[in-house]
Amino acid sequence: MIYVKKIFIILAFFLGLAVMLMGLSFVFMPKNNMSEFGMEEVSANGILGEKENTIDVLVLGDSESYSSISPMEIWKDTGYTTYVCGTSAQPLNYTVTMLYRAFEKQTPKIVILETNTIYREVTKSSALKTKIANYFSIFQYHDRWKSLGWHDFIGKTNFTWTDDYKGYRYNSSIAPSTKKDHMRGTAVIAKIPELNIRYVEEIKSFCDENGAKLLLLSAPSTANWNYSRHNGIQNLADEIGCEYIDLNLMNDKLKIDWNTDTHDKGDHLNHSGAVKVTRYISEFLSETELLTDHRTDAEYAKWNNSLKNYESVVGKS
Amino acid sequence: MKRLIEILEELQPEVDYATCTDLIDGHYLDSLSIISLVAELEEEYDITIPTVEIIPENFNSAESLWAMIVRLQEDN
Amino acid sequence: MLTFSSYFSIEYLIIFLPVSIGAYAVLPQRFRRLSLLASSYLFFWAVSGKLIAYLIFSTLSVHYIGIWLSGIQDSCDRLLESSPKEQRKEIKAQYTAKQRLVVAFALLIHIGTLLILKYTPFFASNINSLFGLLKIPVTLKIPFFLMPVGISFYTLQAVSYVFDVYRRKIRADFNLLRLALFMSFFPQIMEGPICRYSDTAEQLWSAPKIRQQNLTFGTQRILFGLIKKIVIADRLNLLIKNVFAGYENYDGFVIALVAVLYTIQLYMDFSGTMDLALGTGQIFGMRLPENFQRPFFSKTISEFWKRWHITLGAWFKDYIFYPLSMSRPLKKLTSRARKRLGNHFGPLLAGAIALFCVWLCNGLWHGAGWNYIFFGMFHFALILSGNIVEPFAVSITDKLHINRSGFPYRCMQMIRTSVLVCIGELFFRAPGLKAGLAMFRKIFMDFSLASLVDGTIFELGMDKYDFIIIFISLIGIFFVSVLQERNISLREKISRKNIVIRLGVYYALILFLVIFGAYGRGYVPVDPIYAGF
Repeated sequence: MIYVKKIFIILAFFLGLAVMLMGLSFVFMPKNNMSEFGMEEVSANGILGEKENTIDVLVLGDSESYSSISPMEIWKDTGYTTYVCGTSAQPLNYTVTMLYRAFEKQTPKIVILETNTIYREVTKSSALKTKIANYFSIFQYHDRWKSLGWHDFIGKTNFTWTDDYKGYRYNSSIAPSTKKDHMRGTAVIAKIPELNIRYVEEIKSFCDENGAKLLLLSAPSTANWNYSRHNGIQNLADEIGCEYIDLNLMNDKLKIDWNTDTHDKGDHLNHSGAVKVTRYISEFLSETELLTDHRTDAEYAKWNNSLKNYESVVGKS
Repeated sequence: MKRLIEILEELQPEVDYATCTDLIDGHYLDSLSIISLVAELEEEYDITIPTVEIIPENFNSAESLWAMIVRLQEDN
Repeated sequence: MLTFSSYFSIEYLIIFLPVSIGAYAVLPQRFRRLSLLASSYLFFWAVSGKLIAYLIFSTLSVHYIGIWLSGIQDSCDRLLESSPKEQRKEIKAQYTAKQRLVVAFALLIHIGTLLILKYTPFFASNINSLFGLLKIPVTLKIPFFLMPVGISFYTLQAVSYVFDVYRRKIRADFNLLRLALFMSFFPQIMEGPICRYSDTAEQLWSAPKIRQQNLTFGTQRILFGLIKKIVIADRLNLLIKNVFAGYENYDGFVIALVAVLYTIQLYMDFSGTMDLALGTGQIFGMRLPENFQRPFFSKTISEFWKRWHITLGAWFKDYIFYPLSMSRPLKKLTSRARKRLGNHFGPLLAGAIALFCVWLCNGLWHGAGWNYIFFGMFHFALILSGNIVEPFAVSITDKLHINRSGFPYRCMQMIRTSVLVCIGELFFRAPGLKAGLAMFRKIFMDFSLASLVDGTIFELGMDKYDFIIIFISLIGIFFVSVLQERNISLREKISRKNIVIRLGVYYALILFLVIFGAYGRGYVPVDPIYAGF
């Protein structure tokens, strides 16, 4: 009897702790998606401010993703809505967090995962931490105690802000790449960490369940990409049964000029490189015939405003 | 025993040796006083105090010190 | 496989520790001890991987040496019994010499390994600069060794075991597993406390049942330690690391402040880790030796070292200070000097020689670097001068009718001691001795309160809120320390309250830690400082 009582007390204790952590998670959760409200990675989390069920294409990945794909170019050419939830040095555990977060209000039909992140090793420790933080966001936002206000205790969460660039980060400077022939053929297969394979599998099955098509995409980069990595991703794509496009092998079509299309010696593309990649993506998207053109839809009027703002900076091309 | 208390009082007069039982643990005797005390005791009682004996249990009170001295004298 | 870097890793706290406690709780006694040993080796493996070979080697060799020594002692005893009285002294001397050889061999192995791993880079680089100075065109390659975690701690345990067997304080342990557990017990392997075989080996091996009071007291202590480390020490690090890395850019006030804050960080970091070690030990029903006893209430530097890193000080005292000062030549010196200089100054000379060795070793133990040696010498000088000045201080205060045991005087002593300690820690933390001297000079030559007046002090790594939360936490810890100093056990008081309040204490500690801990985005995890020594 005494044991039953003890076990009951322990269970009650942990239940109480979980309830408190959940309560605190509510209080500490940013009530809007701007950095003044304590939101992290603002440009990627701008997707939270998009109108419900208006995003067609979701892009995930590290800095390669937001340097290579410009959603406004896709909108201009095809009328499809794309959002890049890429963040710098994004590890796959955060990719998964962003994926779930995006699908809470959106139902994208296509999910593009930039493959460089698949080679970023996720430590077990950070995987565990992300998992905990996904249940109790207090662990992620606890530092907001410094800026907590009354509103945080009673106010409703209302994400109002969105990025005119839809996650793309504009950079037009030039620093040429000296590396020639970064895609020299090899049979070597770069090994993908075990945990990362499981993350990609998780992403794939989540997409399947939610009726989205997953595409693995390798953006052009002489510093980060090579043929052994290509082989590794190709194997993975075959195993989980999803499409894989390596833009590094398609330069006949893309015509990336490494003298002018990179801003950091081949690590990332600059704006002119991104335009070339994005043009290709637009074509790819329209060939899938899964999406509809929203350019004249009044529901999407804001996208045309964003395009104006975007073009006022990058210029009309 | 009386002589021992005299020796101790000469060394550190601020303590009541009849009652104090934490000479070491209460930081009344520091290591230099202990060197001095050991030298004095060895001469006074004609004993050798080996390093193993220099532990708080033996040095914490006048009483325990006396017990150690008696024991070492017997060993000789 | 599980890997983690310290007691503060999330994997350790929410997986390893609960699982090893759980396994211990459900197993019968004879398996409990083995589960402790298994947990300890798993822990070592998770932190240090293949370097576990060093620990295994140390354990095996110490086991063998113990048996060897006890063999010599036994045959000596047998011979003594059977031989006439006049020969006994000679036999004793003969066998003591034999034992000494074995002990020397043990020291060679254990201290030798430590010296090679820890100090060769330091010696090599110093020899190189000496060669450079003498214009000898030879450059030694500076080697670099990976060190197994806790080697500075378990080596001292191994050496104390050998000495204690030699001195017949303990019997050699023939049970390899018991000795292995003594050497590797996971809550203390990384940062101590440095245990003695006679204190902990038997306790660990007896593997008592987990009792509810131990479980609750231990858990509370662990939470308290986590707050010290994660809320205070790691948050302080934000400012401290910036200022030490670029000390040229800061004025004397900032440097003085950081010297104080670093001393606090070191205390919170180390004593917090000790709370984890002793708290975990307590959950298993073990009493490990305390390593801290409210050191900032010390009235003198010498007292400070009896309250700060207690087990290291005790180790140096038992195995270096007393053996040296009680060695025949120094004993002679003492008794001769006493006759001439009296009881106070007499033993000072021999004591000073032994103290010098202790503080040189203490400095070097913390790391191979001139700043650590300076740190040791600084404390050596303070303790020695404290002893020299003492009689004069007594007579002056007597003449001025100052009550030496009154609160104001004691308070002054405590503050003075703490200030001296902070100065020492400034050199301890400084990136090299030159930097330490430059920083110290700045405190006096470049003092300005400008950063406080215009508020830029809050832009150097810690903002206003960081200072406030640290201040509040420190007040809480001060309150607990005062209670401890008066021998009032807060945990016992709590245990007599009703269940709502008891659970409330846990909730309060956990939530405080979760909200105000310096972890996650924007923070770089800080490895426990003493694990690096």
